[in-house]
Amino acid sequence: MADEFPFEISPMFEGERIRKDNMYVELAGPKSKGFELVRAADMDDVVDDKFTLIGPDLADMEEGSRYPIAMIYKIAGELVEADLESIVERRNHEFQNYIQGFMHLNQRDDVWLRVGKDAVKKGMTSFEPVAKAIMMLFKNELPFIEKVEAVYITDMAEIEKEIENAKAVYKARDERTRDLHDEDVDTFYGCTLCASFAPTNVCVVTPDRISLCGAINWFDGRAAAKVDPDGPQFAIPKGEVIDAESGEYTGVNEAAKRLSSGEYDRIKLHSFFEYPHTSCGCFEVVGFYIPEVDGIGWVDRDFAGTAPNGLQFSTMAGQTGGGKQVVGFLGVGVNYFRSPKFIQADGGWDRVVWMPKMLKDKIVNDMPEGIRDMVATDEDAADVESLRNFLKEKNHPILARWVEEEEEAPEEEEAPAKAVPQAGFSAPQMMPSNFMPSMPMMSGGGSGGVRIILKNAKVSIEKVIIKKQD
Amino acid sequence: MSDIPTGHISIEELENVQITIGKIVGAVEKKAKEEGVEVGPTPKPGISALREWDYKLLARYHPVYTPVCDQCCYCTFGKCDLGGNKEGACGINMEAHQARETLLRVITGAAAHAGHGRHILHHLIHLYGRDKLIDVGPSNLLAPNTQAVTGINPETLGDLEEVMDYVEEQLTQLLATIHAGQEGAAIDFESKILHGGMLDHVGMEVSDLAQISCLGMPKSDPEAPLVEIGMGCIDSSKPVLVVIGHNVAGVTNIMDYIHEHDLGDKMELAGLCCTAIDMTRYQTDQGQKPQAKIIGTLAKELKMIRSGVPDVIVVDEQCVRADVLDEAKKLSIPVITTNEKIMYGLRNRSKDSAADIIEDLSTFKEPGALILDFDVLGEVAPELAIKMSKIREEMGIKALPSEEELQELSAKCVQCGACEMDCPDNLPIMAAMKAGVDKDFSKFEYLHDKCIACGRCDQACPKDIPILNMIEKSSQKLIREEKGLMRAGRGQISDPEIREEGVNLVMGTTPGIIAMVGCSNYPNGTKDLYLVADEMLKRNYIVVMSGCSAMDLGMYKNEDGQTLYEKYPSKFLAGNLINVGSCVSNSHITGTAIKVAAIFAQRKVSGNYEEIADYITNRIGAVGVAWGAYSQKAASIASGCNRLGIPVVVGPHGSKYRRALIGKPYQEEDWKVYDARDGSEMPIPASPEFLLTTAESIEELLPMLAKNCIRPSDNNMGRMIKLTHYMELSQKYLGHMPEDWYKFVRMETDLPLAKREELLKILEKDHGWEIDWKRKKILSGPTMKSDVSAQPTNVKRLCKGEC
Repeated sequence: MADEFPFEISPMFEGERIRKDNMYVELAGPKSKGFELVRAADMDDVVDDKFTLIGPDLADMEEGSRYPIAMIYKIAGELVEADLESIVERRNHEFQNYIQGFMHLNQRDDVWLRVGKDAVKKGMTSFEPVAKAIMMLFKNELPFIEKVEAVYITDMAEIEKEIENAKAVYKARDERTRDLHDEDVDTFYGCTLCASFAPTNVCVVTPDRISLCGAINWFDGRAAAKVDPDGPQFAIPKGEVIDAESGEYTGVNEAAKRLSSGEYDRIKLHSFFEYPHTSCGCFEVVGFYIPEVDGIGWVDRDFAGTAPNGLQFSTMAGQTGGGKQVVGFLGVGVNYFRSPKFIQADGGWDRVVWMPKMLKDKIVNDMPEGIRDMVATDEDAADVESLRNFLKEKNHPILARWVEEEEEAPEEEEAPAKAVPQAGFSAPQMMPSNFMPSMPMMSGGGSGGVRIILKNAKVSIEKVIIKKQD
Repeated sequence: MSDIPTGHISIEELENVQITIGKIVGAVEKKAKEEGVEVGPTPKPGISALREWDYKLLARYHPVYTPVCDQCCYCTFGKCDLGGNKEGACGINMEAHQARETLLRVITGAAAHAGHGRHILHHLIHLYGRDKLIDVGPSNLLAPNTQAVTGINPETLGDLEEVMDYVEEQLTQLLATIHAGQEGAAIDFESKILHGGMLDHVGMEVSDLAQISCLGMPKSDPEAPLVEIGMGCIDSSKPVLVVIGHNVAGVTNIMDYIHEHDLGDKMELAGLCCTAIDMTRYQTDQGQKPQAKIIGTLAKELKMIRSGVPDVIVVDEQCVRADVLDEAKKLSIPVITTNEKIMYGLRNRSKDSAADIIEDLSTFKEPGALILDFDVLGEVAPELAIKMSKIREEMGIKALPSEEELQELSAKCVQCGACEMDCPDNLPIMAAMKAGVDKDFSKFEYLHDKCIACGRCDQACPKDIPILNMIEKSSQKLIREEKGLMRAGRGQISDPEIREEGVNLVMGTTPGIIAMVGCSNYPNGTKDLYLVADEMLKRNYIVVMSGCSAMDLGMYKNEDGQTLYEKYPSKFLAGNLINVGSCVSNSHITGTAIKVAAIFAQRKVSGNYEEIADYITNRIGAVGVAWGAYSQKAASIASGCNRLGIPVVVGPHGSKYRRALIGKPYQEEDWKVYDARDGSEMPIPASPEFLLTTAESIEELLPMLAKNCIRPSDNNMGRMIKLTHYMELSQKYLGHMPEDWYKFVRMETDLPLAKREELLKILEKDHGWEIDWKRKKILSGPTMKSDVSAQPTNVKRLCKGEC
């Protein structure tokens, strides 16, 4: 079937870059206009596989020139709904890059396309086969699309007419995404894609909680579950709310129990300390409890230095992964920092005391304004002492906890035991291995038999061999 | 018991008794317990400890021998003809003897690395002390091979000594079994081969961890610098000091001397083989520029010497031609040997003064010297090169024939064909001679890139024509332009890099990992390496290079004048090209696979080899390629990969060991594993199809690589991408769809996206599968179910409820 196209289609062309010298024509991009848009429509309003072009076709374009482009796809099907539009739209980027000699960058109204000279020479003289290939790929990848129709526009006046409409759609979609929260839906999604490497991990993806790897959001989960309800992404009925604050739901607990073969029976989606979400291996950021200040620090993969607790990302990550519920450490995706329910069971942002500067810069605009200056970075604090001072100086809300504890247990220097509600978490777990003093102790006293007394002796032992007894 | 510390101890109850303890060994479990590490069932495994695992592998991947020689010449009860199912005087049969031959090769290779490791460790401990911390980059798991095998989690150089003790002891045990009257079963020799290969990766790891920690080598650095490579990079107008071998220990003293005496701009320091790679890693971890150049691999040794350009040659160990001294002598190049493994009969001058040695060598009193004291070496080598440069210039040393001589020499040829018979690649030498009579030397030029300069043609020629010199002379222009770039060896892949790449591995955006290892001598020159690496990189595979292959890849440029090291980035990410480093850095390739198991599945690593190997076998789509020659070390490296379930393809030259480990895809019962969730049996695809096999051409190789990255645990996205590349590469290079593609299809989402409908039609028509066309779903046909949560394992004890 693919043979009918005058070009090759393969994921191997995804990384293909078309440089200026090899470019036949440039479409949209920073010096022109354009957009891509997928709309859900009624079955009757879509003529399957139909392609309409408004404006000049590839063959009519002069070599080396620049044109605007808009690509509008209408999709229909029994299971098609507006919430799936963005998922399909994102595929336009991926699939256009599968086409040899066709380059697609960015998304929405930032799209920037180039068509290669070689591709035109080989017969890509019209947008029609390109659109048809994309429609074919849409339907293959997402069979809930029963009908699809494409309209490409290369006429500036027409695009200017349509682009405002497209922007309105994007805006409405963004608002929907932003305003869609765990409480607004009755279904979450589980993702076991990474079970191929992390066999016991189950990700629960909700509107307020992106997957740990950062690659799957609630909408992705929804789309995938429609394609194949028994596939690696599947619906988890939310069930009854046990505790909205920490994000505990009967449906999630049941799923956890089933999917971990009974290993875990409770997961609190927005909790750091109690029954936290399991962590796989590719989480972008790991959170760690700092008992000395009763706060939580976060460190990302790109930070090569040591956190105030003296540990590196890799050391902490080493204790966290493998689909296990590890109290005291939590792997998350960067986008989770943008969730309004971000570890809300444990005080949310008020509990966050430290993160590397680079990470903070990335998300600073999504942090509650009041806390922005109070979270220390590697530039402010390199160890616990300087962190404590920084927090005091900035009057971080965490100070309120110190007071409580000081009142409760004025004598106790080590607060962690109090601060950690979950049994089983003990500080040594997070200490570097050489932290524990192991003083050599020679214990006298044998278990009877011969008694040998050594006086003025020198015993020289070249090598002591210790063997495990079978 | 094991709270005993080393050092001096006084005990109060005992009067004036002092106990001194040198070293405590064997306390692996105790130490691990203190560190809160759980040790698996096989720390420091003996020969039999992992035998059951080997048997599992060997039951699926059957050893196949196609011996060139039917005789065993190991002892004087023989020699014995083992052909026609005959037994030898000791009772050994053909299979067992062939496996024994391989075992000997493998432990020879492993011993070369381990010997190197012990030497450099000893040397570095002497310089930096036992307490010097191992520092190889931002990783939690510092020594994956070491930890998986021995259970030791080394933190200091001193900790590595115990690791080496173990490796050496095991190698001795294995070597003992080569003797007449030892092992009689081929399968147990095979198990021992795998054991030897595993030990090799530990020995290599120790070598590299020690040198990375102490010598300022890049520490898991994706931005490791680009290094000049090729004979054309050498400025022969300056004094030229050439170093050959694998062990950079003594060379660093030379480099320090050059640096301290500001001789860097006044002379050329260049290397051949892995010493060269490690020279360019030396002191570059803080972004410094490499202080040496690389000439190339073993295949360039004779060419470089015969060019007459080197003023002094320093050799250390491994892959150094045995005739370096003889060849150098002819051109008045003094040779310094620096390692007990290679001494060439030279007088030991280690205790003499630098001035005396320089005097003796520059007056040709002796052709070379053995210098085991590296401080002396550090001074002698560069100073001698400076001195010799003048002397040799004044002597007017002419290394290669003139054009007139070329014609005369060509005319001497009687076209007997002896040279071509002896040439490992049967290169068309006679045609070049014929053309040479008419002063057309272009055909010699053609030979240059393919010629590995073994010099066998010279030896074979009844007319004593210096054929190699003629090739080299005719290619002077090419050689001058022989300038490439290689990414300096980056060391390990760090844990954070692996975590980052995890998403790609899971989503199938990285379809697999291709490790191109082994020595030079590719059927079609360095272009072969380039084509294979480029094709796989374009397809987003991660391509990992090491040793000689890493160098050779840097020698080939595309039409834009770019090497692949310039074309592709060098992170551990989809479509990236990585050079881990020298021969001993090969351990980082297996180390990465072990880390994946530790990071994504939290598998316990310490002393838990079988479980780790089982994980890798079923989940990690990695394939090794040794496309050129395949030294004993390469055979050992491959065997170590094999024990972890990583398959290896060798090229036409590598096939000469004539042993393969091949599965039978048609025997359904061989392709079953347990589902660890409940211990039930589940069928798996026949991939990897082999652990060790041969490809005759790169056209055969490329689809083979894609296919053998398929693993039982692939999710649909991963399988879809892998299958896409398998089918595309087969179409592109063999001109047809692979015959077995449908066997890897579990459901419609496994099918390549762009051809889904077409393939569904074929499945329905040719294979009788039932298709629901409305939903484009496969209703029946596949022999396997797709269940990403299934947990394939070959090891029953790892199933739930088993222990």
